[in-house]
Amino acid sequence: MTTPPNVPIEPHAVDPHAYDNAAHLVDSAEEVHVGLTLDAVRPPSQEEILRVENLTVEFPTEDGVVHAVRGVSYTVREREVLGIVGESGSGKSVSSLAVMGLLPRSARVKGRILFRGDDMLKMSPRKQRGLRGRKLAMVFQDPMTALNPVHTIGDQLAEAVLAHELMPRKIALARAKEMLDLVGIPQAESRLRSYPHEFSGGMRQRAMIAMAVINNPDVIIADEPTTALDVTVQAQILEKLLEVKDAVNAAIVLITHDLGVIAGMAHRVLVMYAGRPVELGETDPVFEKPRMPYTAGLLGSIPSLDKDSGSARLRPIKGTPPSLINLPTGCPFSPRCPLATDICRTEEPPLAETDSGGHFAACHHWDRLAAAEDPTEFFRTESETVA
Amino acid sequence: MTLNAQAKGPGASADSQGMTIVARTQGQMVRRRFFRHRAALAGMLVFGFVIVLAFSSIGFAGIPGWWDKSYLDTGSLVNQGRPTLSVVPGFLGGEGFRFGEHPFGQDDLGIDYFALTMRGAQQSLIVALIVGVVATTVGTVVGAVAGYFRKGAEAVLMRLTDVMITIPVLIIAAVVGQMTGKSGAVALGIFLGLVLWPTLGRLVRGEFLSLREKEFVEAARAAGTSAKRIIFRHILPNTVGVIIVAATLSVANAVLLESALSFLGFGIQPPDTSLGQLINRYRSAMTVRPWLFWWPGIFIIAIALSINFIGDGLRDAFDPRQTRVRA
Amino acid sequence: MIVFIARRLVISFFVLLAATVIMFVLTALSGDPLEDLRQDNSPNRAAKIADRTERMQLDDPIPVRYLSWLGNVVRGDLGVNRDGHDVAIILGDALSATLQLVVAATVMAIIIGIVIGIVSALRQYSGFDYTVTFAAFICFSLPLFWVAVMLKQYMAIEFNNWLKDPSIPPTVIGALALLGGLVFGALTAGDRKRRLLSFAVGFAVTAALFTLLSVTRWFADPGFGLPLILAISLAAAVGFTVLSAGLNPRGPLYAALGAAVLGALASEVLRSVLADPTWLEIIGLALVTVAVCAGLGYALGGLQRRQAITAAVLTGLFTGGVIFVDRMLQAFNGYSAAVRGRPISTIGARTPNFEGDFWQMNLDSASHLLLPSMALILISLATYTRYSRASMLEVMNQDYVRTARAKGLPERTVVVKHAFRNGLIPITTLMAVDFAGVIGGAVVTETVFGWEGMGKMFITALHDVDPTPVMAFFIVTGTAIVVFNMIADILYAYLDPRIRLS
Ligand SMILES: Nc1ncnc2c1ncn2[C@@H]1O[C@H](COP(=O)(O)OP(=O)(O)OP(=O)(O)O)[C@@H](O)[C@H]1O
Ligand code: SF4
Ligand SMILES: [Mg+2]
Repeated sequence: MTTPPNVPIEPHAVDPHAYDNAAHLVDSAEEVHVGLTLDAVRPPSQEEILRVENLTVEFPTEDGVVHAVRGVSYTVREREVLGIVGESGSGKSVSSLAVMGLLPRSARVKGRILFRGDDMLKMSPRKQRGLRGRKLAMVFQDPMTALNPVHTIGDQLAEAVLAHELMPRKIALARAKEMLDLVGIPQAESRLRSYPHEFSGGMRQRAMIAMAVINNPDVIIADEPTTALDVTVQAQILEKLLEVKDAVNAAIVLITHDLGVIAGMAHRVLVMYAGRPVELGETDPVFEKPRMPYTAGLLGSIPSLDKDSGSARLRPIKGTPPSLINLPTGCPFSPRCPLATDICRTEEPPLAETDSGGHFAACHHWDRLAAAEDPTEFFRTESETVA
Repeated sequence: MTLNAQAKGPGASADSQGMTIVARTQGQMVRRRFFRHRAALAGMLVFGFVIVLAFSSIGFAGIPGWWDKSYLDTGSLVNQGRPTLSVVPGFLGGEGFRFGEHPFGQDDLGIDYFALTMRGAQQSLIVALIVGVVATTVGTVVGAVAGYFRKGAEAVLMRLTDVMITIPVLIIAAVVGQMTGKSGAVALGIFLGLVLWPTLGRLVRGEFLSLREKEFVEAARAAGTSAKRIIFRHILPNTVGVIIVAATLSVANAVLLESALSFLGFGIQPPDTSLGQLINRYRSAMTVRPWLFWWPGIFIIAIALSINFIGDGLRDAFDPRQTRVRA
Repeated sequence: MIVFIARRLVISFFVLLAATVIMFVLTALSGDPLEDLRQDNSPNRAAKIADRTERMQLDDPIPVRYLSWLGNVVRGDLGVNRDGHDVAIILGDALSATLQLVVAATVMAIIIGIVIGIVSALRQYSGFDYTVTFAAFICFSLPLFWVAVMLKQYMAIEFNNWLKDPSIPPTVIGALALLGGLVFGALTAGDRKRRLLSFAVGFAVTAALFTLLSVTRWFADPGFGLPLILAISLAAAVGFTVLSAGLNPRGPLYAALGAAVLGALASEVLRSVLADPTWLEIIGLALVTVAVCAGLGYALGGLQRRQAITAAVLTGLFTGGVIFVDRMLQAFNGYSAAVRGRPISTIGARTPNFEGDFWQMNLDSASHLLLPSMALILISLATYTRYSRASMLEVMNQDYVRTARAKGLPERTVVVKHAFRNGLIPITTLMAVDFAGVIGGAVVTETVFGWEGMGKMFITALHDVDPTPVMAFFIVTGTAIVVFNMIADILYAYLDPRIRLS
């Protein structure tokens, strides 16, 4: 007469604002000031360590195939910071998880992921595991759930070392303590014996960063490392990330929603939309002269980056991103794009070089954008027009 | 300067997976998922078939059915009481479909076992359904009050469930059965329901506890919405899934519980009968007339299994986290 | 921890007290305790009624009866039943048999259920997973008493008949081999070719095994013998090492293999001790095994000392278990002769007046426990399987499991250290609830298998509307449930550090 186990059912209150982009894009009352800037850390070299080529990821589900990532390519050079931005659901996390080899088994991954010339998708699982956590490390979005609640911090750090190198536990723990010191956790020695629930959110994310760099990786992928944190500690964490990166000589792939952070922290930026890379280039040129309306829209939808201009007008992008199961033909941004014409609705624009110096964009009408004085003006709202 | 407001906290990625189906209403989604669950559909069919068969065959509450024999009349033994039912079609070497004189055979007194089994099934179903309704209603009300208002009601519910957990269900049910079994299926069902509700109450309380802290409830409260309205309009609709699933499974359990009670002699009392009681009554006939043992067993399993499958289908249908992968 | 346990004890005591009130009152209200006498036509009817009324205090209101019962219990007196027999004496034998049954069934259900649940979660959507899920649903829907009667009929009676000439017909071997192949195939991940291959391997291994058993008439005189013990233990050593440390570096593997060899040799060296030991000696041997194996792991473990100790100790205990089973099987022949060739028993908890050595006595209670526990396990097994599957699936999707993978940990460590440990936490809660269900089930199984157990006492007393034996039954089972709950709570606190401090 036992009851079959009740797998708890998540109540599904549909949050009316969940997909309302116009609402969330302007939610930016507080700013993150990153004190430490790129100028203070060692510059990237020309050596390419990670190259992603034409990466596609699909998930077969009952509702149809989700095309989460469609043809993403980028490179990361030694010590470089590459920023990835894009709306929620644009495939940022999925593409990074693919690089780490952490996607669920159901995912269909195609393309090439070259780490120092070796294709990770073709490696033996054992060899791939050898790179994971040693050469490629990841910091996740939510430090509250990313640490195992039943093991001590010290244990979880030490095991990252022991997974790749046989050594006495004591030495691994000493290493862990060093790393906690490095990320600025006080009383590191005794903190090794603490459990995650005894740490604050900021401290947990520091511990995650410590875990990521404990094996001196070449690339750290940080997937929105601060979104789950209090605004006051966001800047500290990002600063720490830069500082630590410099200490271990790693490159960073920084995923964020925060264009300000990208502006201050990334050498280059990749903009994603509906699983596609839509703009790629050095950060400053991309932000000053966006060549794709979506990037321009993003820039217009936040309080001005450029304090001097004085124009604080917010111009949110209207509409919602397309379904990844039934993608519209042509440019995925066309339903929301103020510049869209017929060709946009039939032909998907390729990612092509628009300016020299490695500035790429995927837009049929980038020249119209280039011709405009203020690239965000196309997103002018009706109230503005009236005024 | 933050672009993001929605991807905060755990579950954000799970939420974003719902993105593509957000256009459909919740009811449609639930129905669609349920009807895609093949086992649940089969369960529905079997369960419906058993109910129709049990109530239409020998009739119910004075209304006569299409089967002419009574579960009370003894008679002369035909072919030593063997079942005459045949379902193996002729081209497979069987005798084709045939119902015959006594499809399920006869017991040693010559009572038609089909009629007897149908009567047993009726009684078992009545008890189980009433248990489900009573336990669900009481459990939901108490759980809702305890989870929403907390204070006294919650303390009472929690202590009560603590106490009930130390008494095995079968034991308390046996005591209740001894008390009410003589009064018939309806009384037995009601009283069993009255002792079986705490598990469900605790479940509902848990749901209410987590939902009352959610933003949309707090917003409603801040707007001065009355407690009654919040409970009925805001929280309850979000817990129906849990409640319906639990109610379904409680019916399946009640079928088994009732049969176990009748088997031990604490359920429906002779001359009336139930499936469990039939098994008990003919236990010693196992070696000579095994069909007397098989038929009621098969019906219990068919009923419990089909309800369990329906419950599983409902659980899948209401659970939005599982966008099942076709790997 | 002490404070935690003490507080739980006090709370449990009051909970149990409240439960006795409910049980007593309901039982007293459940009918007319004089019913049989009212229909009695014997001349001394009035005297009998007066007698029973006096003994059961029927003239007092129920609360008074309850208090007087409670007063007796506090003084350690369980009272008399309505016919004046001392309940404590009736309880006597019944108690240990029932508790044995219940505990054996629960422990087996937990272990087997969790293992199946985890494997089926790790192989989600495989043939194995679907089969397990379907089987679990069947088990949820089976009436326990029906299964028990079936087992009694087909397992015991037919199996005993078969034991007279234990050769397995080729068709049965074929069917078993097919089953073995299907299990192997369903458990294998990967493409069609790999699955076909493991199907073939499974088929061949099972077919060979059963043919061998049949040809050698193994079932007539079962047992392993030293070579087989050694082989099983060595295989287990490799298995435990893979689970706890991995095969590289070699330290843990050598420690575990050493434990297996030592254990197997010890079974020969200790021949005289093992001829007719006592339980105390068995426990002593187990402790020695743990100590020796821990030393072995410490010495050979190298940089993976902890894992090596785990692997060696598990292997040592497992080897001990294999030797134990082997001894019992060796006693089978003598035992079978003693019970006239019907070793699988269908009635009672032990063979009346049977005397034998340690192994035969154990075999006797094992053969009596076999069928009731099999029936009793089914439902719990399904519950544990479903629950641990769900729990494991849930945990495998957690962020921290992804983190563990991101560190480059081998899949074994991810599953055993990060997922399994967390997946167990909700299962402890289930243990508490399920145990009560098993006790209810025991009442039913005891009835079917004719045990003179507590279940029988309860049923008779309830029919008689006689609260004293019902309450004696309840005090024992209620206490068992409370104790089990407490074990579950302590386990919970041990598994989840978040509880420990708050
Ligand atoms: N396991 C999965 N099965 C099916 N669809 C998935 C799965 N994982 C991700 N997706 C889908 O892939 C798409 C891209 O998701 P992804 O997490 O990469 O977005 P994101 O850009 O990281 O968004 P956010 O800013 O919210 O983190 C989403 O639409 C999501 O629903
Ligand atoms: S291609 Fe057309 S629709 Fe797409 S972004 Fe460019 S202008 Fe807009
Ligand atoms: Mg993401």
